[in-house]
Amino acid sequence: MPHAVQLSLFVAALATLLSLPFAVLVAWWLERRSGRLRGLVQILVLLPLVLPPVVTGSLLLQLFAPRGALGGWLASIGLPVAFELTGAVVAAAVVGFPLFVLQLGQAFASIDPRLEEQACSLGLPPWRVFLRVSLPLAWPGLLAGATLAFARGLGEFGATIVLAGHVRGVTDTLPLAVHAALQTPGGEREVLVLCAWAVALAVLAALGFRALLARHRKRLEWGA
Amino acid sequence: MNFELDVDLARPGGFRLQLQARCESHALAVVGPSGAGKSTLLAALAGALRARRGERLSLRLDGRERAGAALHARRVGWVRQDPLLFPHLNVRRNLLFARPEADPAEVIDALALAPLLERAPRHLSGGEQRRVALGRALLADPELLLLDEPFSGLDALGRRRALGLLRELRERFGVPLVLVSHVPEDVVGLCDHALRLEAGRLVDQGDAVAVLRAGETNVDNHFRAQVLDAHTVDYDGVRLHLALPPDARGELRVACSAHDILLARTAPQAVSARNVFATTVAALHSTGGGVLVELARPRLLVTLTHSAVDELQLAPGVELVALLKATALVVLGSASSAVRHADAAPVAAKP
Repeated sequence: MPHAVQLSLFVAALATLLSLPFAVLVAWWLERRSGRLRGLVQILVLLPLVLPPVVTGSLLLQLFAPRGALGGWLASIGLPVAFELTGAVVAAAVVGFPLFVLQLGQAFASIDPRLEEQACSLGLPPWRVFLRVSLPLAWPGLLAGATLAFARGLGEFGATIVLAGHVRGVTDTLPLAVHAALQTPGGEREVLVLCAWAVALAVLAALGFRALLARHRKRLEWGA
Repeated sequence: MNFELDVDLARPGGFRLQLQARCESHALAVVGPSGAGKSTLLAALAGALRARRGERLSLRLDGRERAGAALHARRVGWVRQDPLLFPHLNVRRNLLFARPEADPAEVIDALALAPLLERAPRHLSGGEQRRVALGRALLADPELLLLDEPFSGLDALGRRRALGLLRELRERFGVPLVLVSHVPEDVVGLCDHALRLEAGRLVDQGDAVAVLRAGETNVDNHFRAQVLDAHTVDYDGVRLHLALPPDARGELRVACSAHDILLARTAPQAVSARNVFATTVAALHSTGGGVLVELARPRLLVTLTHSAVDELQLAPGVELVALLKATALVVLGSASSAVRHADAAPVAAKP
């Protein structure tokens, strides 16, 4: 497996895992709230979806640059972001986040709130109702969201190249490697290999998603 | 359980539930037409509704104020019209949802749930889902059971079984219950006290039988009568004329509306009514719109206006003549087959 593919898989997986708890909380919060604050948070969450990734990357760079609001502090605790692999992870997480939240939000919205009310009236405090009723019922949405965020992370280019730069052997994820190979004379073969890997990964992700979803459906059908 | 309720809640759509009630009851019926506020009252008791500005909610149960308690701290078994089983859990896990350590054996036995335990909720019939929901509520160890229309959607046989089952549960588990129904006959045998709501107000309360019978706008007499010949039956020692099916014999189920019976102090002359018989007043129940008169023999219910009762000077023990048109008596069917079968069927059998 080419190094760029390994790197991309690692970055996308880590970004998905790290954003998962936040996506769940934010999606849940958005679904059960109304009012101005909700609207504001919703716009903020959706921004990376509508902004050009390069713009998102530039904004992130402002925040995470060594002298940025967060970057300085993160660097001081040994976690520099800009022009590091962490930058690629942050970029992938941020651009994948809206997809994750949208999918989860739909899943939470489709749960009958009376089921949660019923669970609560059976004596479970709200956080246990969330873990035992809401989250299991939102499982397909969580899977779909994670798959989309992962796929988006795999393909992330614009924000990554701004925030993480193209540091050979450190931040050259699959799309960056393809971009570099395209500009290298005689790099056509490498481009083809990387493209084949990208297609294979996309198909695998889709198949994995389908398999997990089928398992969930079977569970609903037969009871567990 | 002692209930002290003081409720003033506005609901979306302009509906307002306003009532104050105090009663001591082990099985409280809340009856009234659709939209009277019965389910709203139940939801308030369950803890799903809170008083907002300008509203009032006080629910004292056995002297303890419960209105402020969180939904999960209420310890009420709230069984709604929709069973709301958790679709991702099988029946066993639904039953043990609240207390996984509970021993479900007795509840499974009482509700005949054993064959369903490993099944997914989506593969249960409506009646089965209700039984599971009831079992789930019982296994949460509630201090109070709240049942919202437990009979809706069930046919006559299903209602009979459900009623028998609830009666058995009341005796076996001893949990006080509040039962909402818009079909008051269903709860006559089950509840000891009743509240009647209409348009968000309490219009009557008291002994269940009196409240349930009194408020009925369409009280029917149901009885079994013995066929005497081609045109008459015997009911409670009185010979009644009616239109009989040609093959009628043995015991029949007969009904007539309480509105179709006339009462007179003396027997009228040359009257068209085919049934004229002497009887006595057993009891009088005042209702919203009139008076329900219980006759002693034959046992029949008659609805009258207040002015008619005053004019006839009716009181328990007064002797009267009752008049009933032959065409007002309806034969429901033979007393064998269906009804006998229902009586013999085990209470919790699969519907």
